[in-house]
Amino acid sequence: MKKMLAISMTLLMGTSLITGCSKTDSRPEGSKSAQEQLDQVTLKIMIPGDRPKDFDAVIAEAEKRLAPTLNVKLNVVFVPWSDLAQKTQVTLASGEAVDLVFDAPWLHLNQMVAANYYAPLDDLLKQYGPDILKARSEQLWEANKYNGQIMAIPLSNAYLAGHVYYVRKDLREKLGVAPIKTYDDLIKFAEQVKEKVPDISPIISYKAVTDWTNFRTFFDYDSHLNETAIGVNGVLYLKDNDGKVHNMFEEMDSTVWKWITDARYLYQNKLMYQDVMSVKDQMEVFKSGKAAIINAADFGVKTDVANALKKNVPGAEVEAVTFFKLEKEANLSSFQAWNFIALSQVSKNKERAIQFLNWTQQKDNYDLLAYGIKGTNWEPIGENQYKVLNDGYAWFPYAWIWNPTLDRYDQGLGEEAQALNQFVADADNFTPSKLTGFTFDSAPVANEIAQLNTLRDKYMDAIYLGIVDPETYWNKYKSEASSAAKKIQVEMQKQIDAFLASKN
Amino acid sequence: MELFRDIKKNVDLYLLALPGLLFLVLFAYVPMSGHLLAFKQYRLADGIWGSPWTGLDNFKFFFGGPDWLKVTLNTLFLNGLFIVASLLVSAVMAVLLNEMKNRFFKKMAQSVIFLPYFISWLVVSLMVFAFLNSEDGMLNKAFESFGWSPIPWFQTKEVWPAILTFIYVWKFAGYYSIIFLAAITGISSEYYEAAQIDGATRFKQIIYITLPLIRPVAIVLALLGVGRIFYGDFGMIYGIIGDNGILFPTTDVIDTYSFRALRQLGNFSMSAAVILYQSVMGLICILLFNGLIRKVDKDSSLF
Repeated sequence: MKKMLAISMTLLMGTSLITGCSKTDSRPEGSKSAQEQLDQVTLKIMIPGDRPKDFDAVIAEAEKRLAPTLNVKLNVVFVPWSDLAQKTQVTLASGEAVDLVFDAPWLHLNQMVAANYYAPLDDLLKQYGPDILKARSEQLWEANKYNGQIMAIPLSNAYLAGHVYYVRKDLREKLGVAPIKTYDDLIKFAEQVKEKVPDISPIISYKAVTDWTNFRTFFDYDSHLNETAIGVNGVLYLKDNDGKVHNMFEEMDSTVWKWITDARYLYQNKLMYQDVMSVKDQMEVFKSGKAAIINAADFGVKTDVANALKKNVPGAEVEAVTFFKLEKEANLSSFQAWNFIALSQVSKNKERAIQFLNWTQQKDNYDLLAYGIKGTNWEPIGENQYKVLNDGYAWFPYAWIWNPTLDRYDQGLGEEAQALNQFVADADNFTPSKLTGFTFDSAPVANEIAQLNTLRDKYMDAIYLGIVDPETYWNKYKSEASSAAKKIQVEMQKQIDAFLASKN
Repeated sequence: MELFRDIKKNVDLYLLALPGLLFLVLFAYVPMSGHLLAFKQYRLADGIWGSPWTGLDNFKFFFGGPDWLKVTLNTLFLNGLFIVASLLVSAVMAVLLNEMKNRFFKKMAQSVIFLPYFISWLVVSLMVFAFLNSEDGMLNKAFESFGWSPIPWFQTKEVWPAILTFIYVWKFAGYYSIIFLAAITGISSEYYEAAQIDGATRFKQIIYITLPLIRPVAIVLALLGVGRIFYGDFGMIYGIIGDNGILFPTTDVIDTYSFRALRQLGNFSMSAAVILYQSVMGLICILLFNGLIRKVDKDSSLF
């Protein structure tokens, strides 16, 4: 399996290298001189984040490589995360000459597409972006279209986000607990910690989407419980891949209720960090060694967590435990990307912008823009891993060039995480969700969503983290939120039915 | 006509006022037209004038939900507590500071009580957590050493109005006390001399001279506070309470409520509707309060 992947990957990269070269070298004489006459243009690119220290050096190198062919200069504007929504929106609305813009469904992609701020890309990609197309699977393109058109390039390195529990390996070994394989093992370890290491909390959990109970949906292979298009609220769920919106106020799912009572057990027996609702940064608590288990995103242990913990508690070690099934078609995916880069309608250099993006989807160039200068900022380990050498070039490929084919993984993650990451980067390993490609237009129920959001924050975490008596609080939540939830359910079901009908 | 004649007579005085007036017009009056958004379905591409009217639709999420009365009352109650407590404490502090004879100690004390004003709410919130959390919070550790049972502060909603008021006073009393102190320094020493000749004690002087003479300042500060009584201090409440739903029944204010409702939707019109509600209620409140003061003490009222 792994070998096959490696081979197909090298093949892919080989071809992209060849096509990349052929474009520059094997042109007929006539067009070569025409190419030399390409005017220099400057592309303005707006992406989120902070400007890395060594960004200028990387861009200088990129421009040097681009000069003989595309003759493009790059003006990359970094927008702070907090201003991202407003600044990009105002820039586009004012008609400022910007070429490529980061956008996302959680930002304002749908609104901006509807308001015609972005250029449709199908033809441009066919003509100028073969490598952009090749780096992403058919499923990814199909699932992220708007009204049948490609309006923005999906940026993603996996078809399902990885989820793990970080566990204090040193404590586990000290207490003589065997490696954790199931949820019950995890809780047994927590109980051991409670009993024998009384000065730390066994478990701390994030809130909202990744609170202790919602987190368990990621490993629910029986009914494939999942959040709906409006995010988590503890009420509306997708289930069994049946294309229905399930309303827990009308019919409580027995699995979810069991999870809730499990969480209540954890809290009442002080296995859960007692102030979990008010703590500002849960990972900080784990890093400082005050908790033995925390839930976390991505496979493997992040280097900064492991290092920080080691610094605070000498001898402490972290291991990542996941209940993810590495099994073809066991997992559902809607192939939805969370980040996109779009081409603005007002851009005067549409072709060149796509040509530039195409250039970034060639291995060497991708490596440069994603990881920095080879030998200074990073060094390659094999074909798809890398090692960070200094902190001069913070990692941000997800903002403009990310794709599952060329992405490298931090070698510090270890073998197991590497295998998992490669598995989720292959679209063919997943069963497509029935709602692949469905986008929800929230405008008709905006009032109800706003109401449900406030009630969700009032009740869901308290119930899902086990802090309050589930029965009474659930009934309160139900009596206040059920009319809003019902309206949203009906509207979403209506749109889903229309979507499914149009697909057949 | 009379106005024009007045302007002609005092050209330089009006010129002096011009920058301030312009500032007010630009940043207080022009933005008021933004209240129009509350009645429109605002779409960025169409602009304010091009977006379609929707009547009162934008108000539905707020007034249609079960919590609007609760959060409005919370806002009023908390802000009321803040205004009363901080004015009382700062007036007392100003009087005490004024009585200090040692100049060095007086300056020191003044700086120390003023300092919390500069600490950002985020830092304050971390301090609060360090004090009150139930794992290793200072207060609960202290309780334990006294043999008392620790209190799960972050799960006990009843105590939070008091805690928030305490934090507010700690942060702002120093700032207000400087304003009071300035008013006290402005009191002519002749009053005190006359009182001393009549045999009044320091305490009597405070009661019958200092306090009555700083009353107008207190009233102006109170009126300014009342004008904003419908605006919860978002930085404070969201910073300290955050998304802890258990504490919402006593601490959720209009600002935090609408923030949570709308943060994912990015809907300008719905937020404009909430702001309009707060502004109108604030206006009514200040008119009422000012009317009340006019009845009691005509000279101290704002208008």
